[in-house]
Amino acid sequence: MSKLFVVLLDDKRMNAIKGSGLEDKVEYMFGGNLKAFTMEMPDDKANLILSEFDTARIDTRSCITDTPLAFNRTLFEEIAKAKSLGPEVIDNTLARVAEIKDLAAKESDYLPAPEID
Amino acid sequence: MSLRMTAPPPHGGRLEERVVRDPGLAKKLAKGCPVYDIKPTLNEKGVPVRNVYREIMSICYGFFSPVEGSMKEAEVERILKERRLLNDWIFPYPLVFDISEEDYKQLGVTAGDRVLLRLKGKPFAILDVEEVWRIKDTEALAHRVFGTPEANPEVVQEPFNAKHPGWVIYKSLNPVVLAGKYTIINEPKFRAPFDRFWLPPLKSREEYKKRGWNTVINHQTRNVPHVGHEHLMKNAAYTGDIEPCHGIQVNAIIGVKRKGDYPDESILEGHEATNLGNYIKPERHLVSFTLWDMRYGNPLESMLHGIIRQNMGCTHHMFGRDHAAVGEYYDMFATQTLWDKGIPSFGFEKSVCDVEYGLKIRPQNMREFWYCPVCQEIAYSESCGHTKQKEKFSGSFIRGMVGEGIFPPRVIFRPEVYKAVVKWWKVFDFPFCNQNYVVQQDKNLEVDLPDLDV
Repeated sequence: MSKLFVVLLDDKRMNAIKGSGLEDKVEYMFGGNLKAFTMEMPDDKANLILSEFDTARIDTRSCITDTPLAFNRTLFEEIAKAKSLGPEVIDNTLARVAEIKDLAAKESDYLPAPEID
Repeated sequence: MSLRMTAPPPHGGRLEERVVRDPGLAKKLAKGCPVYDIKPTLNEKGVPVRNVYREIMSICYGFFSPVEGSMKEAEVERILKERRLLNDWIFPYPLVFDISEEDYKQLGVTAGDRVLLRLKGKPFAILDVEEVWRIKDTEALAHRVFGTPEANPEVVQEPFNAKHPGWVIYKSLNPVVLAGKYTIINEPKFRAPFDRFWLPPLKSREEYKKRGWNTVINHQTRNVPHVGHEHLMKNAAYTGDIEPCHGIQVNAIIGVKRKGDYPDESILEGHEATNLGNYIKPERHLVSFTLWDMRYGNPLESMLHGIIRQNMGCTHHMFGRDHAAVGEYYDMFATQTLWDKGIPSFGFEKSVCDVEYGLKIRPQNMREFWYCPVCQEIAYSESCGHTKQKEKFSGSFIRGMVGEGIFPPRVIFRPEVYKAVVKWWKVFDFPFCNQNYVVQQDKNLEVDLPDLDV
């Protein structure tokens, strides 16, 4: 059974996909409080992600989670570039795995805290 | 028959408190003893996975009553076979004071000797050695501790391995065990924010009385609470006797955790924020902690949780699915099975509440809470029929949101709770446990020790 991957969307990301036709695929979750894409991950791709990133796992919703943030960001970049949620986006992301791992190594030491009131 | 409930007796009949508060007596007890500086247990990469000081604290302050110290070989064997201490009371895990062969040679002690244990370079506790024994194969021990699919087919789904943090703890133990009773002779002082949440069993029982709480339900946590946890607490507390439980206690497990969990400071202050924000009013909600390097042993961990919270005086304990679990080593309902009908291969033909020398705290087995867009509320899985539309809370999903710097909506994470996370994120430059945090945590620990000249 294929797994799922949720790509969260904030205002900046919504701007990046403006006019791409992907707006129709945005899901509104938790009473409209949260916007996201839900992508299907075929088993072979899901297994590849799990083997490449030791923090990654499947949660109770059958979603792949705990991937490095660099993976999540790269996946969104590829979505915005391809204007698609198709499997080629996953392939393009996995083709950048070395770059993602480099970034992930840095982000396991430091992540800037958001400025909030 | 009274329908009213009161605090259960401590596990084993009486609370152990092995703490000497008279400095004169402490000096006398420690005089002339060989000294051993407590060291962390390290994994193969040299990263701390456990510090035995946490076990000494939890034993000496009575959280693990009736355990009094590091276990003898026969006791460990009995636990592995039947999950019982030599005095018959049920107990899930071997607890040992382990040292290397080199340290043992240097220490030169044997049965009948007393060792002064130092922590952060200061006198901390004494260990009266009753037996010295050796762990022949730590990997075999680790497998026996958690079970195997062959030996425990009811609940173990896959063999444990180096990805399981609890298994790694047992695999990483030193070979020489000094077995005997611990006594703390120099009480550590908790640093902030831990100091205001320290409530050992004698104190917690007093606190419940002071608050007029006859019934108290415990919420186990190793997490900052999202709104799903909050609703679990509120709804599980509807159980009780002739009225809902008077109190909801959150007892966090403080110690080494897996990468990606929240820092201990965020966990405690995140839960506190739930009551400071009046989502559960402070008069009904109490945050505390137990020192323990989590073994993530699902049903076995739940047994330990039951023992700790019964000792603290709780009447009820809520258990969800995948309790204290990591990965899919155990069946997701293994804990609920243990408390409902028992797990024969772990030595329990019946619920751990129905066996001799078992537990008196009552389990409240709960399913899950989700957001229902049709009901437009947080709904209980066994009540809400909108299973297709449900939106599940997932800790890892929320961690992803936090990590990406997205301010979580109020329906997922209360803003007060999120602010506690960000406060400690700024301190540690990271929102979750990472290697830096674990190394710093082991260096600083949760306590400092006063001077004691022995």
